[in-house]
Amino acid sequence: MEATNGAPQTKAGDWRSYERVLLPPVRDLHKIDVYEQHGGYEALREALTSDRWDPKSVTDEVKASGLRGRGGAGFPTGLKWSFMPPVDPDVPRFLCCNGDESEPGTFKDRQLMEYNPHLVFEGMLLACYAISAKAGYLYVRGEYADWISHMERELENAYAKGYVGENIMGSGFSCELIIHKGAGAYICGEESSLMESLEGKRAYPRIKPPFPAQRGIWGYPTTINNVETLACVPLILRRGGAWYAKIGAQRHPGPVLYGISGHVNRPGVYEYPTGMLISDLIYEVAGGMRGGKKLKAVVPGGSSTPILRADMIDGVTMDAETLRDAGSMMGTGGMLVMDEDTDIVSWLRRVTHFYHHESCGQCTPCREGAGWLENIVTRIDEGEGRLRDLDLLIDLCSQMEGRTVCALADAAAWPVRYTVTRFRDEFEARCRPSLVAAG
Amino acid sequence: MPKVTIDHQVYEFEGRPKALQFCLDHGIELPHFCYHPAMSIPANCRECLIEVGMPAIDRETRQPKLDKDGNPVIRFMPKLMTSCSQDLADGMVIRTHRTSEKVARAQQDTLEFLLINHPLDCPICDQAGHCPLQIQAYKYGPEGSRFEFRKVRKPKHIKLGPRVMLDGERCINCTRCVRFTDEISKSRQLTIIERGVRNYPITPPGVTFDDPYSMNVIDICPVGALTSIDFRFKARIWEMSSAPSITTTNAKGSNCHYWVKDNLVLRITARPNAAVNDYWLPDEDRLDYHRFNENRPDGPRIDGRPATWDEAYARAAEVLRSVPGEGILFLGSAHATVEDNYLLTKLAKALGADVPRYIPHVEPGHGDGWLRTDDRTPNAEGCRRLGIEPVDEAMIRAKMEAGEIKAVYALEDDPVAAGLFSAEALANVPVILHPYHTTNETLPVTDVALPAAMVVETVGTYVNCDGHAQRVRPAKAIRDVNRTLVLEMDKGRPDKHGTPFDRWHHEDHQVNCRPSWVSLPAVAQKAGHPMPYKGPKYIMAELARTDPAFSGATYEAMGLSGVRLESVGEAV
Amino acid sequence: MADFIKHPEVPLPDLDPAPSFSEEELVFTEEERAQIAEYVRRYPTADGAVMRALWLAQEKFGFLPPEVIRLVAETLGIPYAQAYGVATFYTQYYKQKKGRYVLDVCTSFSCQLCGGYDMLHYLEEQLGIQKGETTEDGLFTLQEVECLGACGSAPMLQVTNGPYVFNLTPEKLDALLEDLRAGKMPAFTSVTLPQDEDEMGGNRRSDAPQSAVYETPPVARTLE
Repeated sequence: MEATNGAPQTKAGDWRSYERVLLPPVRDLHKIDVYEQHGGYEALREALTSDRWDPKSVTDEVKASGLRGRGGAGFPTGLKWSFMPPVDPDVPRFLCCNGDESEPGTFKDRQLMEYNPHLVFEGMLLACYAISAKAGYLYVRGEYADWISHMERELENAYAKGYVGENIMGSGFSCELIIHKGAGAYICGEESSLMESLEGKRAYPRIKPPFPAQRGIWGYPTTINNVETLACVPLILRRGGAWYAKIGAQRHPGPVLYGISGHVNRPGVYEYPTGMLISDLIYEVAGGMRGGKKLKAVVPGGSSTPILRADMIDGVTMDAETLRDAGSMMGTGGMLVMDEDTDIVSWLRRVTHFYHHESCGQCTPCREGAGWLENIVTRIDEGEGRLRDLDLLIDLCSQMEGRTVCALADAAAWPVRYTVTRFRDEFEARCRPSLVAAG
Repeated sequence: MPKVTIDHQVYEFEGRPKALQFCLDHGIELPHFCYHPAMSIPANCRECLIEVGMPAIDRETRQPKLDKDGNPVIRFMPKLMTSCSQDLADGMVIRTHRTSEKVARAQQDTLEFLLINHPLDCPICDQAGHCPLQIQAYKYGPEGSRFEFRKVRKPKHIKLGPRVMLDGERCINCTRCVRFTDEISKSRQLTIIERGVRNYPITPPGVTFDDPYSMNVIDICPVGALTSIDFRFKARIWEMSSAPSITTTNAKGSNCHYWVKDNLVLRITARPNAAVNDYWLPDEDRLDYHRFNENRPDGPRIDGRPATWDEAYARAAEVLRSVPGEGILFLGSAHATVEDNYLLTKLAKALGADVPRYIPHVEPGHGDGWLRTDDRTPNAEGCRRLGIEPVDEAMIRAKMEAGEIKAVYALEDDPVAAGLFSAEALANVPVILHPYHTTNETLPVTDVALPAAMVVETVGTYVNCDGHAQRVRPAKAIRDVNRTLVLEMDKGRPDKHGTPFDRWHHEDHQVNCRPSWVSLPAVAQKAGHPMPYKGPKYIMAELARTDPAFSGATYEAMGLSGVRLESVGEAV
Repeated sequence: MADFIKHPEVPLPDLDPAPSFSEEELVFTEEERAQIAEYVRRYPTADGAVMRALWLAQEKFGFLPPEVIRLVAETLGIPYAQAYGVATFYTQYYKQKKGRYVLDVCTSFSCQLCGGYDMLHYLEEQLGIQKGETTEDGLFTLQEVECLGACGSAPMLQVTNGPYVFNLTPEKLDALLEDLRAGKMPAFTSVTLPQDEDEMGGNRRSDAPQSAVYETPPVARTLE
């Protein structure tokens, strides 16, 4: 990033005066009457009953907003919706809302679902309308049992008020929303395995093509979006795509729920525009480093996004393009901050354990490779590593990346590849001295 | 017609084939494990990777971009694709391991991964020698392993059911077995359990894998994870010869290989034939081999005493000459070949006897509408087409009681065990029998026993319940030296029959029997009705020429997959 | 964490297990059947309801021995093997009997760096068991789990697939164990957003029984 006036340039504008929209400061907003009092379900009413809107114009408005998926891949949402085939009255169509939130370091959707569930429901309903789906499934990870019961209660209220179900607000549009409870599997955050899980099968990801828009749940056209993504949709309809497009980074606009965890003084979920400087998020937003320690590294968007050394974050903002240029990814916006005392080798060992534990086991490279990675990193962590292990790790990453049905092999390989590359000296130092010379 | 370029060579294709199947169909070998043509495509083994490219299209002209030599510019996908799931498209360019280092390396990488947790116990594994993992690791895999850790230990020698044994460590999670029970046999008795590297297939607790088609998972398992309890450790694959043939357990005539060592049939595996059994074989067909090895006769007998073949033929001819032709009851056999039954009808006709009848062996309820039939014989349809009808038991018994039957000539069956006659009823009538086994219950009242070769020892034709005529070939040697059998077995070719470990040329397990197409003409000759056939091939050629019911069923036409006959009259 | 990597053994499930429940116990009540039928209505085919039905069965029976999984499959009319494959895929379904309270301590990612292992080891000491084990009185099972999605409140744990307990300290764990021994499950805790703390002076919910505010996470003593 170019520096202006010697200070790093944020793309988030005057973020200090930013007013929250996903989680506005409204007491008890999770209650349906409070939500209604603050403009809730107005966008839905408008979309369903006014002549101004039809499914296509809703999609176009979302396209115009520049909204990109908040689940990790950052795919343009409106474009995804437009992949749905033409409506065939005999073929059901579905929406899936991905609330599996299982990428380590990510904890924003849970807060959104707790504090603004109706925004999620309204977003789902609008998406269903835009893609002409008669039902939307909200897949929530099983661990969020308490939040699932809260949401089910609120969903009942929404049904009771006629926002969901048959002939919504007299518009002739009918739509069911169903909350599906997971049961503990990281892989279910992957869209095609989420669909398998919904269908009551072992959650093995599916090969693509066919894509969900062609053959989704139960073989029917399906669109799948993240919770936070869909929560943006009512806001876009209420205030216009142009309004949304102006928030934050130009090519990756909108509000984002940043989940900041690790060695900061004020960890938690923060709503700010995209394009925030990582350094601002750490030092200004999250209260700075714990105990005044020095920053060592940041994992910007969940465990699979490449780790950035402290010296790599100068001027780096949280948006897809800038992070890509900086050598990482936006991911879920769940940021882990590590201070100078962090043992990066032990940390990576735990990360490799996670992916080993969570590989679904369908594809060879991931099933076998994830365990091999953990074996090697464990050996290094225990001081029994050889220098050649480091090259082998990189080699194994290359053997896994892009070679499987879903992206979990990549997700398992990237932390290893980038941590070993970017902290190579620490790994070398940990290798067994007598074996270092031997290679 | 749309075209695809594979390794610089252009092929035309029709429809929407997948790249892997298209390559296999065109003789291009691509390593693969999980893909099976009859089942869904999970693309999970990641072994069949290829590079796939499409011509780049110029945005403005909408025409393919051309390079300076005028060739289309090909844009390759950044990731390698699994050929099993890749649809071909017009103009597509594919690079396999034969032309792409990247593909060759990826295939090697996958094999390295597959082998890290696979026990290298090939020396004690039944699958060794015909193991896709072993073969493909040898051809496409890395030379060594860089894996220096403990392999994952999983349950071993688990009896999933009465016939299938699991070794979880050998499993590579291709899911073929689970897909077979989900999609093909539909018994749904298997599932993958656990997750990740802990995965392996098993029945849920309390369920026995007793699917009547369970053993097919042994055939399709690309490793030694699922082996046959029956065949376990009996022989190595390279110690055995195999012969393409059909099973005779029922009227379906499913295609199979008979695997033989030392002239003993040790196992039966499925042989694909889309017109009959696809890739599958019922378990009962696979286990139906003990009868080829056990209780087999040791040459012909006269009145229960050993005799030479010539003595026996002479005695049989004497019996036939001693009674009026119309007094002889000829019993054909739905176990015997078309050729043998045809010769019997000719003999009956020459002697002035009635057209032979056969004893039906029908077990109502046994059939399943798939590869098992109520009819437990392989050739009832062949008999019917020859004009041989099922016996009218009541009428035959009445004739016997009335003393109208002066002699019985029975081909390859057991009239007493079948309940057609009691032994007492036959005690005073001369009986000539072509038996398979010494346990044949008609033998004690048989005057002349001419032991017959069974399906694994003979050459001939069977017609299945759908009118599909199929040849059988000898899988093992009999004592008799017969030019036709020698040629059909390729006995003269050690590379085709027999192995250095196999003692097929020893007499130990060579049964002293003869095909009925040898014995029947010999008896007829001595009875004064010569049948100058050079062998079964010529018998079938005559039938194919003269009898519309067998039109086209020559040996050449039947080949390895048989010929569908025109339907004639009412099916049985 | 290192258990499997050091001893990579996959045990064989008891293929012919003695049932944990009698024929009489092994039934769903009318109400439960109605509930399952309601789940089935939510999906195009009954298969979709298998996860909810397994949840219901686990809440009723405490865990999912094979006969319970079979009951679920039969109730839904789906293959038993499918239900069994599903039940073994997901970690939250208990295939073995667990303690009355299952303490799932997160040691993944952020929690690892903020003392997740310290909390796990503290509980091991307090309960006199190793992770993965159950106390002799059958009261507690201690487990190490993967990221539970509460990284901003690390270290944290979950009690028996239910309430989350955030910002753990040894004192907090002592109190938790005491409460649980007295049969008192922790109440639902709402995590206050730091921005709400600034702008609204605390938690925004008036109906959350208790709320946790952000805390500067502790320094992890062990990373395993």
